[in-house]
Order: sequence, then structure tokens, then C-alpha cells
Amino acid sequence: MMAMSPIDPRLQEALDGERDPGTLPVDLREAYARLMGAANLLQTIPATSVAARVMAEIHDLKPEVEDVRPARRVVRWLSRPRAVTLRLRPAWTLALAAGLAAILLMPTQPMNGPTAGPHEGIAQFVGHFPGARSVEVVGSFNDWSRGSLHLQDENHDGIWHAAAVLPAGPHEYMFVVDGERWVPDPLAGRYVDDGFGAGRENSLLIVRPTQTFADEDAARR
Amino acid sequence: MKTALALLLLAVPLAAQNGGGPASRLAGRVPPAALPAIDSLIAAAVAESLPSEPLVQKALEGSAKGVPTDRLVNGVRRGLLQLREARVIVGRAMPDQPLPEAHIAAVAAAIARGLDPAIVERLLTIAPNESPGPVLHAAADLVAHRFNPDSAADLLVAAHNKGLHGIRLLDVAVAADHELQRAGGRTHAEALARVRALLPNVPSADTPSTVTRRATKGS
Repeated sequence: MMAMSPIDPRLQEALDGERDPGTLPVDLREAYARLMGAANLLQTIPATSVAARVMAEIHDLKPEVEDVRPARRVVRWLSRPRAVTLRLRPAWTLALAAGLAAILLMPTQPMNGPTAGPHEGIAQFVGHFPGARSVEVVGSFNDWSRGSLHLQDENHDGIWHAAAVLPAGPHEYMFVVDGERWVPDPLAGRYVDDGFGAGRENSLLIVRPTQTFADEDAARR
Repeated sequence: MKTALALLLLAVPLAAQNGGGPASRLAGRVPPAALPAIDSLIAAAVAESLPSEPLVQKALEGSAKGVPTDRLVNGVRRGLLQLREARVIVGRAMPDQPLPEAHIAAVAAAIARGLDPAIVERLLTIAPNESPGPVLHAAADLVAHRFNPDSAADLLVAAHNKGLHGIRLLDVAVAADHELQRAGGRTHAEALARVRALLPNVPSADTPSTVTRRATKGS
């Protein structure tokens, strides 16, 4: 270990400006000149922070040799930890939350037709009414109300049709043609006297649930 | 045709139905002259713990069809009598048990379809805790196709004992009708025997989720 040699008091006084350097002996005068030169040099170099020096060291490091195989590069990119800073304005945060809530609360059924639940089924109504201006189905499933289930004849060929999601089970119904003529479905297969004493019959439809028989059997077990 | 049907699928606004009590549903729909009598018939059903919905439906139906007042009231009264008869039948089939309104309504509907009360009672006893609607409609279907009522009930009991329940019992009736219509012809008894031999493997008459109707002609 190198011991630090004590400085000559005369040189110290000259460095402190308390003695004229010209009065120093020759060897001390040379030491004085070297020390002052070093002091002047330090004053001209800009101060360098620790952080700046560390960053300079990082920049000077040689980059790692990258694997040329794309898959391995992707895996390395994905697995390497990275700091992510996310800045959100409160207004945008609220808008994002509202958007997510809307997506979660949106109905999931497709828009191209009705979807029946486990205790519902899809009933299709078809009738041949050439020349009719309108045909609708009125029955126990819509409280015998007019105007809720109209059949369509987009080809103008007299074949009118519609479909509806109905609760599983029996439903009595009739077609109403041109808003005034009550007609049973000729091929309904099931009919029941309407009970009003005129001998008229309602068509009877038994809607099967969407739940499969396998589901029913499984549930029963 | 199928594509056109799929594109024209319409949803019936079912949410509106069955909303509110009977009085609010009948107001404005039933002719004022018939309303007091119908209200009293419905009140009688409620007081007797009978289901009132079939009577409300009958009143709405008759009003929508423009049935004259006296026949409209008689139609509702006839429904009340069928419910009372149904309660007696259900009570005999399910002694010492609370009588489910759904059972009473299903039995009344079977009576309205012309099913003999004795057949109804017999079919109720094979599975008192199951919904009786499908087996009763299956029996009514068979009787409507001129099968012997007792033989039809025998077949349905056998089907139930072989593990067929609920809506699958309707397939038994459909299978019997198909056997009847086969080329070469079968008698009703032969058709029933043929289906009995198939049990429990009667074909499903339709996909479970849909009731497809064929194009109807005439009218």
C-alpha cells in the first residue's frame, strides 16, 4: 500500500495564495507549477454524472449476437421481461370501461333469426293463399292479438310463411286472411273444437323444445 | 324455399303476453256486455283453485273472432266446466296430493280434444308426477286417427314402461299413424302391434327444436 507523503508547508502556503511562488526553492517551484496545471485542467472538463457515465458504458457494450431463426427470436422477444408504461386520461378510461360493459351486455344471439331457448321451439307457419293481400297467425301464444305475426309472400306465388320462437307445448291458432277470414291450417294435423258452438275448429300445434332427447335422458339420470 | 324461410324468421313478441291480471288483459278486448259474466266465471275459477289462464285465453279468442256475446260467455263457461271435470279426474289419479294447476289444465285440454275421461285417468296414473300433456295429446292423436282408445292407451303405457317419456310419446303416435299409411295397408291393430314391437326405438318424428309445417293448400 502506498503511503501518502506530507506536503511541504511552504508549497501549501503558495497553493493557498499566502506566499509568493517566486520565493519557493526550485524543486518546490516545479511541484507548484504541476499542481496548478492540473487544477486548471480539471476546471476546463465538464462535470460528468454517474448516470451519464453508466449509460455511456451501456452504449459501448457490444450487442449480443442475435439468433437468425425467426421462431427463436419471437420466443425470446416474448419471454424477455419488458417495462411497459401505460398512461390513460380518466376520460378515456371511462370510455374504455363503458365499451367493455356494452360488449359484455350485448345479446349473443345471432341477428339473422330467432334462437330458441331450452324451453322453447321454433314454429314455422306456411300456407297457400293465392291472391291474398295479407295473412297472419293469431293464437294462444300471442293472446289472440292481431298484428304480431304476419306471414310473408315475397315471391308473390301465393305461398305465405313465417317462423316464430314459441314456448314448448301446445298452442291453438288460426290463420287470418286479408284481416277478416279466419282459416284453420288444413295440414296442422291436430284440431280442437273452439267451444263457441258454431262447429269451428282451431288448429293445434305442439312445439317441441330445443333441448335434445339425449339431454332429457341425461337430466333424468 | 328453406333459405327464404330462414330469412323470414320472425320473433313473436311474447314478452307482452300474460302481463298483468285477467281484468287488465280483458279490458278493451272483451265486449263490455260480456265482461261482467266472464269476470265472474274467472273469479269462480280462482276461488276454486282452478287455473284461470285457459278461461282468459278463451275470452280473448272469442272476442278476437267476433263471437256474439251469448256464445262467447257460453264458451268460457264450458271451459270452466271442463276444468272442474279435470280437477275431479286429477284428484282421483293423485289422491292425497296437492293438485297441480298444470295437470288440471292439461286434462281439461284433453277433454276438449274429445279424449274419454277414463282413458285420461288411466294415463295420468302411469306417471302422476310427470307433466301429463304429451301423453294425453299422444292419446288424443291416436284416437283422432281412429285407433281404439283402450288399445292406444295400452301402447302408450307400454312405451312409457320401455323408457319413453314426455314429448317422445308423441313420436309413438306419429309412428302408429305412419304404419297405418304404409303401402299395402295395415289395419289399426296391425299398426299398433308393429309400433309396440319397435319400442322403445320409434323414430323421432321431427328435429327436437322445430315444428315444420308443410305448405298448406286450399282454404
